[in-house]
Amino acid sequence: MATILFKGIAARSLTARLTSSCYYGMRYSTKVSNDPDTHDDFKPASKLENSGTSLSDIVEQDVKDNPVMLYMKGVPDFPQCGFSSLAVKVLKQYDVPLSARNILEDPELKNAVKAFSHWPTFPQVFIKGEFIGGSDIVLNMHQTGELKEKLKDIVPKQ
Amino acid sequence: MSFRSTTTLLSRATRIKSKLQSSLEATVLELDDVSYQHAGHAAMKESSENETHFNLKIVSDKFEGQSLVKRHRMVYDLLSDELQSGLHALSIVAKTPKEITPDAK
Repeated sequence: MATILFKGIAARSLTARLTSSCYYGMRYSTKVSNDPDTHDDFKPASKLENSGTSLSDIVEQDVKDNPVMLYMKGVPDFPQCGFSSLAVKVLKQYDVPLSARNILEDPELKNAVKAFSHWPTFPQVFIKGEFIGGSDIVLNMHQTGELKEKLKDIVPKQ
Repeated sequence: MSFRSTTTLLSRATRIKSKLQSSLEATVLELDDVSYQHAGHAAMKESSENETHFNLKIVSDKFEGQSLVKRHRMVYDLLSDELQSGLHALSIVAKTPKEITPDAK
């Protein structure tokens, strides 16, 4: 169950809420059809309405708290899309803590991230709060050395 | 993982090309439908749609002076209808004519 988050993520911010109540029970049965825009009818009931925290606040907090924040399909150790896999592979070349959320697990979070970055596809990479782009851009920045530059003052993972 | 041909009357690929061509005046515009490579992946399992994943190579003067993120946004903005109607992912290589000359990397 902990696989929804990867090492280092601020567990307080979302784990509990995302895994609460009915959503928890439905996760496996709806994991696949959860995805995109075609299965809105089967969306898990909102789990945030009463929490006082909106999803966009969570995204904002994520990118603020985590020097390298990745929104992806699947989890870093088991990406479920080639592009997400590529982004993880590139970022793992560097000795920095990597935090990630699996947007396949929550269509609402997926939409919140899209709205936050004004970017339509996944994965999405944020470094030190700045939106970087998707896998093509991360790979390109890796090749040009820009990524190294961006990541150099991030404290290595323990 | 069977390859599904795109023989619909006006395929998404055709629409994508014409939108990009007319707005960005591309000098090179290569679009490959690679949906078959993604047909089995988690997000696509229950989707019957084809034309969901493309590789795009586009060269345009309009990318001059724009960061990569900006270039990608320019492409995505033009394709917002497609992205809302089943286009899942684009792998984008966006360059300026100068950047593809033999000496430049």
